[in-house]
Amino acid sequence: MLDDVTKDKPVLTLEDLSIEFPTPAGVVQAVKALSLDIHKGRRVGFIGESGSGKTTTALAVMQMLAEPGRVSGGTIDLGGTNILELSEEEMRRARLSRVAYIPQGAMNSLNPVMRVEPQMWDGIIAHEGHLDRAELKRRSDAALASVGLPLHTADLYPHELSGGMKQRVCIAMGIILNPELIIADEPTSALDVVTQRQVMQTLKAIQTQIGSGLMLIGHDMGLMAQTVDELAVLKDGELVEHGTVRQILQAPAHPYTKDLISSVPLVGGESFLSPDARADAPKRTSSEPLLRFEDVRKDYGSVTALHPMSFTLQGDTPQIISIVGQSGSGKSTMGSIMLGFNPPSRGRVLFEGQDVAGMNAAQSLDFRKNVQAVFQDPYACFNPFYRVNHALKFPYKQFGLATSEAATQRAMEEACAAVGLDPELVLPRYPHQLSGGQRQRLIVARALMLSPKLLIADEPVSMVDASLRASILSNIYDLKDKYGISILYITHDLATAYHVSDYVMVLFKGHVVEAGPPKEVIGAPQHPYTRLLIDSIPWPELDRSWGDGRTDWDPANLEAEAARAEAIYRGTVPGFDLIEEAPHG
Amino acid sequence: MSRIPRDYLINRLVTLVLTVLIAATIIWIIPRLSPVDPAEIALGRMAAGAGSVANSEEILAQLRANMGIDQPLIVQYLKYISGALVFDFGLSTAAFPTPVSTLILNALPWTMGLMILSLLITFFIGNLLGALMVWERSPKLVKVAIPAAMVFTSIPPILSGLLLMWIFAAKLQWFPLTGAYSIFVEPGWTWDFVTSVLHHGFLPALSIVVVTFGFWALGMRGLMITVQGEDYVKLAEAKGLRPRYILYRYMIRNAILPQITAFALKIGLLIAGQVLVERIFAYNGMGKLLYDAILNQDFPVIQGVSYVIILITALSVFLVDLLYPFIDPRIRHEANT
Repeated sequence: MLDDVTKDKPVLTLEDLSIEFPTPAGVVQAVKALSLDIHKGRRVGFIGESGSGKTTTALAVMQMLAEPGRVSGGTIDLGGTNILELSEEEMRRARLSRVAYIPQGAMNSLNPVMRVEPQMWDGIIAHEGHLDRAELKRRSDAALASVGLPLHTADLYPHELSGGMKQRVCIAMGIILNPELIIADEPTSALDVVTQRQVMQTLKAIQTQIGSGLMLIGHDMGLMAQTVDELAVLKDGELVEHGTVRQILQAPAHPYTKDLISSVPLVGGESFLSPDARADAPKRTSSEPLLRFEDVRKDYGSVTALHPMSFTLQGDTPQIISIVGQSGSGKSTMGSIMLGFNPPSRGRVLFEGQDVAGMNAAQSLDFRKNVQAVFQDPYACFNPFYRVNHALKFPYKQFGLATSEAATQRAMEEACAAVGLDPELVLPRYPHQLSGGQRQRLIVARALMLSPKLLIADEPVSMVDASLRASILSNIYDLKDKYGISILYITHDLATAYHVSDYVMVLFKGHVVEAGPPKEVIGAPQHPYTRLLIDSIPWPELDRSWGDGRTDWDPANLEAEAARAEAIYRGTVPGFDLIEEAPHG
Repeated sequence: MSRIPRDYLINRLVTLVLTVLIAATIIWIIPRLSPVDPAEIALGRMAAGAGSVANSEEILAQLRANMGIDQPLIVQYLKYISGALVFDFGLSTAAFPTPVSTLILNALPWTMGLMILSLLITFFIGNLLGALMVWERSPKLVKVAIPAAMVFTSIPPILSGLLLMWIFAAKLQWFPLTGAYSIFVEPGWTWDFVTSVLHHGFLPALSIVVVTFGFWALGMRGLMITVQGEDYVKLAEAKGLRPRYILYRYMIRNAILPQITAFALKIGLLIAGQVLVERIFAYNGMGKLLYDAILNQDFPVIQGVSYVIILITALSVFLVDLLYPFIDPRIRHEANT
């Protein structure tokens, strides 16, 4: 089926590759008899959930499997070399020079105490010995230029770079010795859509230029559709489908592949929310608006993270307000200000008429109970020493909600059931025994138990598998109608914001640039910045342009354009009042 | 020095001075809370020497006047503080009338030499061994031997000192039993004197290293385990760097940072010293001075020694604060904090 491309000898041949992890509980088969070729100049996507074996396969090619993992069968042939037969030293020499690895967590992948340049040089020196300085400099500068980074980046420390810049440095390092094969392990999963597109286009361009094979690992069908030539679908360590990306998108054969394609939430597409959740929620009884921002502004040193912003959320009928924007747009700052973790530099935040900054102990306790949060990282939100039932019970008792042990138990079970978890299965466990998706649901459950009035959800699904996102978001969505909780949904994912929200605010550099109901703002964006965000979404449609060949990636141009444009207000919804910012200029 | 803004430097200096001042005040107050009258102790010592003392009231008054403790507290305090600034702590009551500063000046170099040398050695050895315990490529033998050697860490320094003395000084006679230098050489910058000092210092230093390297090794081991799991170490391996280079430049270089802070804090503690180590080796350092002063209730010396310890601790922390941006580029001192 792939005969049109098989003229060259493949750069990577996996034949019946099996990888196993012996554990005390038995041998886990991480990869089962996987066979696949990657040809010169071809981009092959490995898609599947966490645990499907895609990263394990990549690490096996690098001969960097974590203990106690081992290749239990089959061969890995890298351009004619059986790497399973290489000595440790020979394998070291093959890394980077023949097969380069671009890591997932670019945020932490650079040595924090070394400048960028020596970190590029040490890779060259490890393979070619001590070249003279001028030659090293010439090559590192060429690599930086090829990924579109300014040359002074060489003298910076990693913490002085943005996430996108760090990922590009990692790409520059990866291609510095012109490898035959590049393995990119979810290289953009930590980046926002705009940066993701820039980095992906850079990676594609440079890979085409040096003509190497690319193994791209990911879980985003849209990103795959826009990036790769061939797609390998993995599930539980098995290759369930392999073909050109066109074949697979147009006629997926395996039910799992169909699931993967249909589970991508699309702007304007079918809603993933269940429409039956329209039960009447208890009404709130307070004359004061639920949440009110009065000219709230936040400065960090000389940088203004949030420009004066005023809005009122009545909260009488629960609503979901989405705040969307790139990293650094000020959306998370807004979230932490609402939670009272981060006092505003100017202005006031009022919760039911009370200034959040000036609460006494009793009011503060009441505020904490009524305003709950769901954060991005489900792994960091539980104390690893306590079982789940303790973690859920503790705040419930702390806020004086527990009348008896039996009632507490019942509340925990109800909350678990509400987010689709089996209480008997999860409650007696420790957090590390649960998956990321289960943990994130438990955090929603914990918030739900306290019957809060407001939930701040800061990127609640960006770290869970794509297949789980929709169901966790519907759990959160249910809170609104079933339990009468208003929600502020902070995200960079416009497609989900389109579906769940009643009102959307697009933030750019601490300013609201476009706001209104989602069908208008996201469905038919008018502000250049909103358009940029929408255009940056990789669609799982082959013929839809993802901005290939566009030259306007330069953030400076975009910023200038977005800064010139006035904010656009696209209508209102009852119960939410955003005070329009005075036109600037 | 572009990484240290002037405002920050001034801020840190003020903190340094305040810390020392407050600490100096506290060490002045504490002995005055005690009901013991140093003049009576001095009198008691005279009485013990002479059998009996006539007109004891007059002598007491005279002693109090000499010690300055007949004056109002505020005057005593101001005198003490202004003296402390120029390292004048008055006269020792036990070794009357030797000035405290002379006693400290005589003891300090010995302690500094011995303790800082042994601290440097133990810091180096401890951290290296701690790193090797974690490093995947360490020889098996190393991984077995180091934890076994940790047994020494649980030995009190006085025992390890006695043990070393018994083996190397008494039995093998490789090193002298006690003292800081041989009584047959004249102190001065001569070859004989320096070798004698090193010869005498070896066993006390070794006894300190043996019992303290475990502290650094265990700390380093924990830090290395964390660093080992960092993405940048994984990527370094994926880049095909040489394992030794990864160990030094990627792992130890990052893991060592918190240890350096601990090092600064330890300097102060070490001046107070391994009191007992100095004691059993009859080494005339600060530890021994402090130990004797406590036995003799010699308040001026206790105050003086405590003051010097605090000053050196505060200074070393101050220096590490200033140094930190150079060893960890992520730390940058904001001018307005």
